[in-house]
Parts: sequence; structure tokens; C-alpha cells
Amino acid sequence: MNRELIKYPLYLIVHPFNGYWDLKYEQSKRNNLILSFAILFLLIITNILSNQYSGFLVNLVYPGSINSVMEVLYVVVPVLFWCIANWSLTTLMDGEGKFTEIFTSTCFALLPMILINLPWIWLSNVISLQETSFYTFSSNVAVFWSLYLLFVGNMTVHQYTPSKTIATILLSVVAMGFIAFICLLFFSLVQQMLSFVNVIYQEIVLRK
Amino acid sequence: MRKSIHTWRVYLLLVLCSLLGVSMGGTLVYAEDSASSYNYSFWGDTVAAPSAYEATELLDGNKLGVGPFKEPNDLHVTEEQMIYVADSGNNRIVVLDSSLKPVTVVDSFERDGQKETFNNPQGLFVTDQKQLIVADTGNKRVVKLDQNYKLLSIIEAPKSDLLAGNFDFQPVRVIADKAQRIYVMSTGVFDGFMEFSQEGEFTSFIGANKVKVDPTELLWKKLSTKAQRSQMIMFTPTEFTNLDIDGEGFIYATNGDKWGDSIKKLNAQGNDILRRTGYFNPQGDVRYIGAQGPSRLVDIDVADSEMYSVLDSVRGRIFTYNGDGHLMYVFGGIGNQMGQFKTAAAIERMGDRFLVLDKAFGEMTVFDTTQYGRTLNEAVRSYYKGDEEKAFELYNEAVNMNANLEFAYSGIGKSLLRKGDYKGAMQYFEESYDRANYSKSFLLYRKQVLREHFAAIMTVIIVLAAVTLVGRRVRKRRKGGVAIES
Repeated sequence: MNRELIKYPLYLIVHPFNGYWDLKYEQSKRNNLILSFAILFLLIITNILSNQYSGFLVNLVYPGSINSVMEVLYVVVPVLFWCIANWSLTTLMDGEGKFTEIFTSTCFALLPMILINLPWIWLSNVISLQETSFYTFSSNVAVFWSLYLLFVGNMTVHQYTPSKTIATILLSVVAMGFIAFICLLFFSLVQQMLSFVNVIYQEIVLRK
Repeated sequence: MRKSIHTWRVYLLLVLCSLLGVSMGGTLVYAEDSASSYNYSFWGDTVAAPSAYEATELLDGNKLGVGPFKEPNDLHVTEEQMIYVADSGNNRIVVLDSSLKPVTVVDSFERDGQKETFNNPQGLFVTDQKQLIVADTGNKRVVKLDQNYKLLSIIEAPKSDLLAGNFDFQPVRVIADKAQRIYVMSTGVFDGFMEFSQEGEFTSFIGANKVKVDPTELLWKKLSTKAQRSQMIMFTPTEFTNLDIDGEGFIYATNGDKWGDSIKKLNAQGNDILRRTGYFNPQGDVRYIGAQGPSRLVDIDVADSEMYSVLDSVRGRIFTYNGDGHLMYVFGGIGNQMGQFKTAAAIERMGDRFLVLDKAFGEMTVFDTTQYGRTLNEAVRSYYKGDEEKAFELYNEAVNMNANLEFAYSGIGKSLLRKGDYKGAMQYFEESYDRANYSKSFLLYRKQVLREHFAAIMTVIIVLAAVTLVGRRVRKRRKGGVAIES
């Protein structure tokens, strides 16, 4: 059972059509969720480690800007925004996917970014400047692989045609922008309100 | 109860003593080197640095006994450390010796038996043969005098097909190369420096700046009519602001470009060959207040070992770079204290000392090196000469005085690399963010390690291969055996 649990995501990333079909109709929802959170967690760890330990030639980061909490946000927030935006759109566009399915399919699609980038953290320490093109190449491969998986996953989960999937993906990206905007608006408004209350409180307290 | 109070007191006393010790130690360290200058880190942050130069003397015309300077514009120091000051407002050239005592004042010369004077001379240059070349701006001519200040020749406004009919010759700065060619910077000329042959004939322009086009301006120009366009400002290359020549005959020039390369090293063809391999292109200040804008470089002085210094008139600072374009040190400023200026007009190096001419105050400030500045100068020199051993030592010393001096780590790394300590070199190159050299030393280090451990590595690989092969075969046979049994 446990072995199956590890083998399944690895099967999925090389056979995305079958894999995502299984994800939607065969696999247990509980296992999928466990795997998804594990993948998210591993991705965060990979990013943090890569920031800290990647070779000097490929990893020129201002030491003051390294922040593990932000790395968590950089992974969790986009995934969350993507899932919400995609779910909101596909419910209106006859998508068959449930929110959990969208979430799990997205998380599974991120697996190549772990599998390729994690070994490169060590490998990047033993390459020269000329060989860094291999590094950039493989991280690009990881990104495109993940994008492809995301595409197939979305298509399978919602039972869409390819063109409709592309359209929804593009629209979802736009919707993500809207969500980000509304979030910013919300937070700044809350901030304004809080500071307003604070000012009134101070006025009352300091008044003699 | 009483005993416990007593022990508490002892503890308190101990804590107080240790605090006192800490604070005393702190002040001791602080007093040793107070940072008063700055440098830029790889990330563009301003980091504190010890001052490399300190003002030691302030000279004005009264102190020298030649009468106050009036709007002096240029100065030149010869190899024999004779100082020539172009005292423009008084229409004279003041000559000082190396101990800063006046030698003579040149205010006139004889031409065809008649005495002629200068009119607002803004620039001057002294050749190796001690010939004095003066940009006599007000008289629109360049005057060349011999070492006894007798007239040799005069270059008047040239006539050439290259020049427009209404060309106005206003020489403000001059230099001459070893072949006695004279290069003149003239106000209102956008085509570069004017080159004159040994005989004083105008030959060509050299080193024109490129035209920088503002995209929004261009759009407006595209949209407007011909009549409107004729009213607009033309796109012209920026003017040079100053020039100097090094021992090999390369012209170093500064221009008023706000965003482009404001420092140039021109070869004989007029191409810019300045090395810009520092963390930032040499341009003066990297960080500045938006209202003040970037540095406006008004003078440049080339020293030995490819070091050069530029003067920023906006903030009155002097920036010195090494040949690779790394910022070595900064000093000066605008203000009323010693070592600060109102309108800094010219700088010149006198050995390792600096002379800075203040146009508004009519004063000349002398700067001397500190221990730190000396070390840094010598380190750059030793490295330029190829004396790795000494450069290593001096760079180490400099780094001990200023741990923020990132390019010095690269200097240490380079000497370690030559010595064959690849691993050490790698560390130092990483410290100075020198990726190219890091990669170079890393490749050598990798080769070294692989060579040393070749036997071990190959053994491990062969053993692993053998084990997997055998293992696979064993597994196959077992499976086969099971199949036969069943």
C-alpha cells in the first residue's frame, strides 16, 4: 500500500492521461490529499534548500532577502489562487472537476519541479560557469513539464477539449490577477479602518 | 536571608564589572578606525569604509603670496611635481614647486616683439619637454610656450571642410600626447575632441559621444509637423567635460551623460576601451537622491597602474577606480569644512597626494593618504606590476582594515590562484562575487580532486557496476529457478 502511494505520483508524471484519469475516478480522495500536501511541503523545502545551498555560480541571492516564510507563501499562495480561480471559472463553464480534484491535480503537476530541482541543488555545486546552461535547461524542462501536467490534469479533471482547457487556463490566470487585486484592496481597506479606529481611540484617550 | 543578599550583591558586582569591560573594549575598537567614507557593495548598498585620504593643507593665493585666485579652472602636475594652476579670472598661470611654494607667474608672452596677455585661460597642459600649452579661451586660441615661457606657436581658430562656416573656436581644455599632437576640447563641439598635428594643423575630430534618444521625445517628434519639429531641441551627442592622457597615450575623458557611460578611455581611433568589470560601471555615485541626480563628472585624472580618479561637481566627491573599474575609495564633499568644497573644478594627482581646486573659493586643498589609502594604492600597483606575492599581502592588509572591500578579496583570490591554492581562491572569489574567476579556479580544483582520487573513484564505480551486474544475474537465476520448480 505504502509503496503504491509513492509509486503512483511517479507513474502519473510520465503517464499523465492515465494517471489523472485514475486520480479522478480510481484513487481514494484521502490518499490524494495526503500526497498533495506532501508534494507542496516538499516543493517548499526544495525552494528553501535551493536558495540556501545551490552553487554560488547559479545562486546569486542577496543574503538579506532569504526568508523561508516567504518561500512558503510563494508556493502556497499561487497554488491557492490558481485553484480558487480555476474552480470559480470551471463551475460556470460546465467543468466536471470538484475543488479537491483541481487542488490535487495541481499539486501532482508540481512534482517535476521537485524531482528535477532537488538533485540540482547538489549538482549545481560541482559545475563551472560554462556548465550552468545545463542547470538553466533542466529547470526550464521542469517548468514546462509541470505546465504540461497542469494542462493535462485540468483537461482530464474537467473533461474538457484541449482548446477549451487552454481558454480556461488563460482565463484562470486573469482571474488570479483579479483575486490578487481584490485581496490587496481588502487588506488596505482593513488597514485604513484599523488605523481610523486607532486614531479615534487615541483622540479620546489623549483628550483631557 | 542576609547571606543570600550578600551573594546577590556579589553577582551584581560581577555583572557590572563585565558590562564595564565590554563597553570599554567596544570603545577601544571604535576609536581605532572610525569609518568616515563609503564604498558600494556588490548589491549596490552603501557600506562604510575607512577614509583613504584626508585633507592636510588648504592653499589660497594669499597664503602663497601671489594674490588671491579668481575662478581658477584647471591645474596640472608634471612628473617633476611642478604644479601649474590656470587662474582664469586673473588671466594668469601660477607655477608652484613640489613643496607648494610659488616659482613664477606667467601672465604674458612676447609675440613678434609685442607683449600679449591671456584672456580667461581655462585649461592648460604641460608636456614632457616642459612646454606649456594654454587654452586661451577668451582669445579663441591655444598658446604653446616653451620651458622658459617664450612663445613657440599659436593655434588660432582652424578652417576645415569638417567645420561649419560659423564655427566658434572656444578651447577650454587641452592635452598633448608624446607625438606632440594636441587635443582640444572646445565648448559647443559635439563631434568629440579636436585633434591638431604637431604643426598646429587641424586634422580631425576624435571620440564623439553617441547620440542618446529619449523614446518619448522621439514619439513626439514623429507625431509633430515639420514646422513644430524645427522648433524642438535637436538630438545631439553630449559634450565632453574634461580629458586627460595616460603614459601610453590613451585619452581618458568624462562627459555630462546622465545615463550612459560618463567615463571613457579612447584609443587612437577614438573607440572607447575602458574596462568596466567592476560591480558597477564607473560613473561616480550609484545611489543618489533623485532631486540631485547622478554624478556630474567634471574632471578626470589618470595615475600610474591604470588607476584613475574623477571629480563629481554635484556632490564634490572624488572617486578613484582601478583599471578593472572597481571603485577603490571616495573622498571629498560639499561643505565649509577642510576637505570639502563649494565648486570643485579640477583634481590632479601629485604622486599619491591629491590636489583639488575649488573654483568658487579660489582655494586648493591638498589631500594625503591615510594608512588605508596607501595600502590600497600599493596593492593595486603591485597587482598591476604582476607582483602577486606583495599584492596578496597588501590586499590582506587592506581587507583587515576594511572587511567590506569586496574587490580586494578578488585580488587575494587571484594571487592564490596563481600560487595553485584553488580551494582558497574559490572562497575568496565567492567573497567578492567574482563568478568568472570562481569558475576558473573551480575547474582547476575539480580537475585536481579528480586526479588525486582517480583510483578510488574508478574502483568504486567498477565495484558498483560489478555488484549490480552480479545482483541482477543472481535475481534472474532465482526467478528462473522458481519458474522451474513450479
